[in-house]
Amino acid sequence: MNEVLPNKESLAGKRAPVSLGSFITFGAFVLLFVVFSVTANNFFTVRNVLTMALQTATITMMGIGVTFVIITAGIDLSIGSVVALAGTAAVMIANAGVPSWLAMVAGVGIGALCGLGNGLLITRLRLPPFIATLGSMMILRGVVLTITNANSSPAPDDFGNLANNTLFKVVQTADDGSVNTVFPGVSYIVLIMILMVLIFSFLLKKTKVGRYAIAIGSNEEASRLSGIKVNRYKVITYIIAGFLSGLVGILLASRMVTSQPNGGIGYEMNAIASAVIGGTSLMGGVGTIGGTVIGSFIIGVLSTGLTMMGASYFAQQIVIGSVVILAVAVDQIRNRPKKRKG
Amino acid sequence: MGDVIFKAQDISKTFPGVKALDRVQFELRTGEVHALLGENGAGKSTLMKILCGVQQADSGTLTYKGQVVRFSSINEAQEKGISIIFQELNLVPHLSVAQNIFLGREPLTSLGVLDEKTLNANASAILGRLNLSLDPRTILRTLPISKQQMVEIAKALSQESEVLIMDEPTSALTEAEIDELFEVIHGLRERGVGIIYISHRLEELQHIVDRISIFRDGKYISTDDYGKISMDEVVNRMVGRSLENKFPTRANQPTDEVILGVSNLSRKGVLDGISFDLFRGEILGVAGLMGAGRTELARALFGADPVDHGEVRLFGKRVHITSPSAAIDHGIGYLSEDRKGQGLVIRMTVAENITMANLSAVAPNGGVISGRRELEAAQRFVTALSIKTPSLAQKVNNLSGGNQQKVVIGKWLFCESKVLIFDEPTRGIDVGAKFAIYELMEKLAREGFGVMMISSELPEILGMTDRVLVMHQGRLAATLVTRQTNQEEILTYASGIKKGSAE
Repeated sequence: MNEVLPNKESLAGKRAPVSLGSFITFGAFVLLFVVFSVTANNFFTVRNVLTMALQTATITMMGIGVTFVIITAGIDLSIGSVVALAGTAAVMIANAGVPSWLAMVAGVGIGALCGLGNGLLITRLRLPPFIATLGSMMILRGVVLTITNANSSPAPDDFGNLANNTLFKVVQTADDGSVNTVFPGVSYIVLIMILMVLIFSFLLKKTKVGRYAIAIGSNEEASRLSGIKVNRYKVITYIIAGFLSGLVGILLASRMVTSQPNGGIGYEMNAIASAVIGGTSLMGGVGTIGGTVIGSFIIGVLSTGLTMMGASYFAQQIVIGSVVILAVAVDQIRNRPKKRKG
Repeated sequence: MGDVIFKAQDISKTFPGVKALDRVQFELRTGEVHALLGENGAGKSTLMKILCGVQQADSGTLTYKGQVVRFSSINEAQEKGISIIFQELNLVPHLSVAQNIFLGREPLTSLGVLDEKTLNANASAILGRLNLSLDPRTILRTLPISKQQMVEIAKALSQESEVLIMDEPTSALTEAEIDELFEVIHGLRERGVGIIYISHRLEELQHIVDRISIFRDGKYISTDDYGKISMDEVVNRMVGRSLENKFPTRANQPTDEVILGVSNLSRKGVLDGISFDLFRGEILGVAGLMGAGRTELARALFGADPVDHGEVRLFGKRVHITSPSAAIDHGIGYLSEDRKGQGLVIRMTVAENITMANLSAVAPNGGVISGRRELEAAQRFVTALSIKTPSLAQKVNNLSGGNQQKVVIGKWLFCESKVLIFDEPTRGIDVGAKFAIYELMEKLAREGFGVMMISSELPEILGMTDRVLVMHQGRLAATLVTRQTNQEEILTYASGIKKGSAE
């Protein structure tokens, strides 16, 4: 029975080697960064890098959520609408006299509830995820526009604290009393993003939720026959996506100190693009949080860099769209089925 | 048998790290059915792919109708009259029979519009030549697999094929359907078509085969007329050694302790009043024709499909199993027939597959998986079951069929299952590796598991089981004691010729 004895390597071999795909993506990110640093003035400055991180953080968080969903071979098109609804609802609740922090928690909760709704539509009514979330995208957008009459309204001042404050800000006061900002500080949004990356990386790699998401996306029937409660774990991934969309919603509302019922339109596309650029497969079963983070930062660096070089928003769309296609094309070419032996 | 129509000489083919074919030869005559036999990895499929242009040989010559040929694509081979029918059918489920037969070669009217009338007429003519009564307008998806296969044959025929390669054509067919297929093959042979026939089912060769060629480990071994070589000799040559004992000796006797009791299990149109007991230490066979409800019985016991009524008792206690996870909690494991589709997540690793059904055992802290515990658990079963894998992080996709089956067994042992239901446990597994699976089943029985084995291979049922349930059309036709029965008796019950009652 002991023909194959365990050796140290077989135990150590557990960690999958960093795939070539993620290496290429990361390389592309570094290359972009270097190119823009050389070509665009003021690109590689502390202030600009921080701004970029701030702008990208929301894409990253939405991307993480949709990565979980896509890994189960699902999709979430309602992200942008959830962003608008959660932010708007939080502002309305705060304006009704509820403390801002509590209103924000409620906003995030509403996002998670929207995710739960998506999950139930998909698992109970057996709707294809594309259809279910396409429907909820329209419904939720309709709801937020209806309750606000499409008007944005200001929030209480302290509602803006979360997204407009920074940590590690270093200020020097000169002798003449003038204030000189040495380091502008890191936005809370970026810190929250980093926290989310850590939490959901752990969740995907080290917990049942992540393992089962990958198993379900790779082979749903085998997962079911292994006793995995497929529906439950699918719903969990949609709740994760809804939660993170809700979080982005309240952060954006906090940053503007206003509700934005028309905000967030098309955000799901950036989120999906960041996941896909980061190597997540729409067929399910494949995807990493690290990849999505890199994917979102490629989008962020591209749009900031191109803006600084004077490219219009429209031109940026062309470039980012091309990057999505290129990223997946590279993946496809690398994964051409190898001819098998007889 | 006529003249040699297709000849391969000194064909070699190397893949990175593997010499798939080493100077092999093969010859096909017109009007002959020539079986190509060998274990998985013997090089049969590679040679077939070279013959039909899917792959190209590194060296060697192909001679077709007296001319040296080299096909660079499957289309080129097809134009010359060589067709292949793969194990997985290449048809479009939502198109009609006729549309499938002429896919890519649709007749057009003078206006350049699809000419459905001519299409259906041409298809009818071809189906007629095969003596098939099929409406060419039938949507393919509505046909049983066997008929779909006939459509694939019709498609090959419509291209005026003179050489037809069939890769495991009977693997998904029932006995009756196989007979029908054989009739078609006989018809083609009489018309002078040369047929290369690949199959793992040696017992069916007698009905159709003229000659047998055997490959082993990428090398050509022999070619003989059928009838001049015994099946034992065929098997010896395939595995390269004599397999005197195809089955391990059963060392234990089943106890009289009932592990699993089933009464009157029914599901409308599928299962009809099934009752039986499974004893500790027993291997209980489940025989029957395809569609008799054997897999359905297993899935019902495992909670994968609902039941209308019936009672299931485990260790004397009544249990209600409504989902696979409930079945697993009660100690039932199901090793499905379709390992890659249902038993394993082939893109995940050996370790991940072994722990999949009992992840909580390696995730003690609120769902956080302990990498160390997971590897220890996986290693335990890799060692105990002699799973040949370079590492625990190997994707199961890269393992052989036998080792994949062992991974599934490991998965259920890790769940501490007490009842294991094997569904066609050796299908698609090499002759040599089968024995290892049988040994494992024997060991499980000896250690006090209750083992059920669904199998279409009666020698396997007779060689391994203590008793055998014979199913026919969703009913239990008979419960037989294996030592007191034989192949013929099982078949008479399975085919419904003899209607018995269950014990």
